[in-house]
Amino acid sequence: MVRRLQPNVGEVNVIDSEPPDLHTPGDLGLEDIELRLAADLVNLPIVRSVVATIATRADFDLDAIADLRLAVDEACSTLITRAVPGTVMHCRFTVSGDSLCFVGTVRSETGAEPSTKSFGWRVLTTLTDSVHSRISSNGQFHRLDIELAKRRVVVEVPGAGA
Amino acid sequence: MRSSRPETAHPTSSNEYQHLAPLFDELAELPEDDPRRSEIRDKLVTGHLPLAEHIAQRFSGRGVAKEDLVQVATVGLINAVDRFDAERGSDFLSFAVPTVMGEVRRHFRDTGWLVRVPRRLKELHLSISSASTELAQRLGRAPTPSEIAAHLEISQDEVYEGLEAGNAYHSMSLDEVLSGDTDNLALGDTLGEEDSGLEGVENHEALLPLIRELPERERKILGLRFVHNMTQTQIAERIGVSQMHVSRLLARTLERLREGLIGQEEE
Repeated sequence: MVRRLQPNVGEVNVIDSEPPDLHTPGDLGLEDIELRLAADLVNLPIVRSVVATIATRADFDLDAIADLRLAVDEACSTLITRAVPGTVMHCRFTVSGDSLCFVGTVRSETGAEPSTKSFGWRVLTTLTDSVHSRISSNGQFHRLDIELAKRRVVVEVPGAGA
Repeated sequence: MRSSRPETAHPTSSNEYQHLAPLFDELAELPEDDPRRSEIRDKLVTGHLPLAEHIAQRFSGRGVAKEDLVQVATVGLINAVDRFDAERGSDFLSFAVPTVMGEVRRHFRDTGWLVRVPRRLKELHLSISSASTELAQRLGRAPTPSEIAAHLEISQDEVYEGLEAGNAYHSMSLDEVLSGDTDNLALGDTLGEEDSGLEGVENHEALLPLIRELPERERKILGLRFVHNMTQTQIAERIGVSQMHVSRLLARTLERLREGLIGQEEE
């Protein structure tokens, strides 16, 4: 875990530290793609174009690609607005079998999970096949994960998804 | 901005507007608050309208409706009339033509392709868009990139490229202009139904005013997707636009709602 310390003030400010208990390097599977970026709304376009590219190359249908783009946008907005300012968001994308799974993680300001009754959650459940949020605390930090998955239709086109 | 095309040529003969030139001198002599000023200004604008039309014509066939271009060019013309300084001795047309063209170009930049996308990619994007509409009708669901590739007899990589090019296309664009009328939305669900469909949502009270502020079509699409759970392809068929356009509209609408909700929390 890399921490940059800012020693010029009386207290120590941890400015670029990872959320706790993140995957060790060997944890990243061959099918996984991972992004780390500032938990800032300006980065949303990057995350949504990554998920769209992955889904496109995995031969998801155009509706599913568009839904994933919107869903990841929504999930990351939720994560970012709850993240401790100045921290990092982790995004992991996994295509396995017939589904694409996204997990976004931030260090959350609160220990509360996002409400499942919000409009944003309605958006997420409509756009995906499954969505879960998880909050965990280690006494020092709260870690918030939002995980979503979408299945694809399997089509019979030679060379599909290559 | 690149300008390899010969755009400096006057789209029309200057003799055509000769008779209007004295009006500029007349305008220059009148005091700022003279009521006759606006009359002369109107005459100048109306008299030069064919110029705006000519310039609009030059830019037609690039994915923006002709009427829109004429409107934009007219705005440019009005600006040119207002800014033209007759005392400098230059001819109005040589001032107006670049001004009007600048306005039209800005319109393309602001409302069309966000990034300069090569013509080949724009065409590829258009053919993918129409192939996907056709395939969706045949399959009863949105096609995948591999199905589009097989249908168009191009490689999947080309499909990826064309789809990506579409992401550089601003949401206010071709489809928007071509499908601006909302009459065909009357069929289907009323706003009331959509409201009740969102009743379980906790920020209901905060959300409804934001939804009511949306343009009718955006509101309809939102309701069809998130209350009636229709797919984007089904919505596209119902509304009469492409799936890609539904996708852009939905993205924009959700962003707007999110911003609205965040804005309320901060107040």
